[in-house]
Amino acid sequence: MAWLGYAILALVLWGVTGVTQKLSTNRISSERSFLWFCWAMVALSGVVVVVARPHWGLGTLVVACSVAGGALNGLGAWTSFKALESGGKASIVISLISLFPLLTVVLAVALLHERLTWMQAAGAVVAIAAAILLSLEPAPAKAEAQSAGV
Amino acid sequence: MSEKSRLGLPLWLLWSLVTVVLWGTWGLVSKIASDGVDAYMNQLLFTAGIAPLLVFVGWKVSRGGPGEKRAGRGRGVFWAFLTGILGGVGNMAYFEAMVKGGKASVVTPVTALFPMVTVVLALVFLKERLGRVQWVGLGLAFVAIYLLNA
Repeated sequence: MAWLGYAILALVLWGVTGVTQKLSTNRISSERSFLWFCWAMVALSGVVVVVARPHWGLGTLVVACSVAGGALNGLGAWTSFKALESGGKASIVISLISLFPLLTVVLAVALLHERLTWMQAAGAVVAIAAAILLSLEPAPAKAEAQSAGV
Repeated sequence: MSEKSRLGLPLWLLWSLVTVVLWGTWGLVSKIASDGVDAYMNQLLFTAGIAPLLVFVGWKVSRGGPGEKRAGRGRGVFWAFLTGILGGVGNMAYFEAMVKGGKASVVTPVTALFPMVTVVLALVFLKERLGRVQWVGLGLAFVAIYLLNA
């Protein structure tokens, strides 16, 4: 289960970026923030070349999929900003976007023939529901107090 | 009323659905790539994939955005850069989880729970408060991790 440790590391690091991203976009535009996010990726890649000595000489399919991964991830970040800018309510847009792992599950089962136990399938559904609920901003205290008739 | 696309859908809905497709497919191509690329090489190729977007966003930012304040820009850039470094290392961990044999249909829902870390950090460091819905989400996130690893 070595994969679980790495998955949790990713979860923690991405969780921290939720805070650092907010600290950034409180001060600069989302586009400038995204630009510097990309520059950091370039810098990290520079460190990887020097320190990690990656293995070259790869198959065309895996190279295409890795490059496509970056393009899909980056474009997804950009289109999520566009969704918010186009008048979508943040609570609805973020909840809808949080459904993306569902598509990964469907594609992995259909195209890669991955098999899930019923516990894992239930876990995937609960995880997506949890991600949606966690992404919902709590109502401002004043509005909540008014709705409660305080 | 929100702007409509040519398909008759509100633009925000269309952009949200496009985001789901892009990020959902990212999980699939990552798993395919993990068959022949290590996490370091993937980071390089991932950055190559994001490069065209960097050029496009850089061009947009250079044209200047409306009403961005100069005060605090340095700090905003610092947080954005840190977001990129943490996000990039998170990407490498996500990819390594798949290299180590994690299924795309399990790893992606686990890592999609990253908002649980964000809400806890925001609670502790940004003094934000959690709504009831987010507390439920946090509880469900732990249930999901248990189920996905059962």
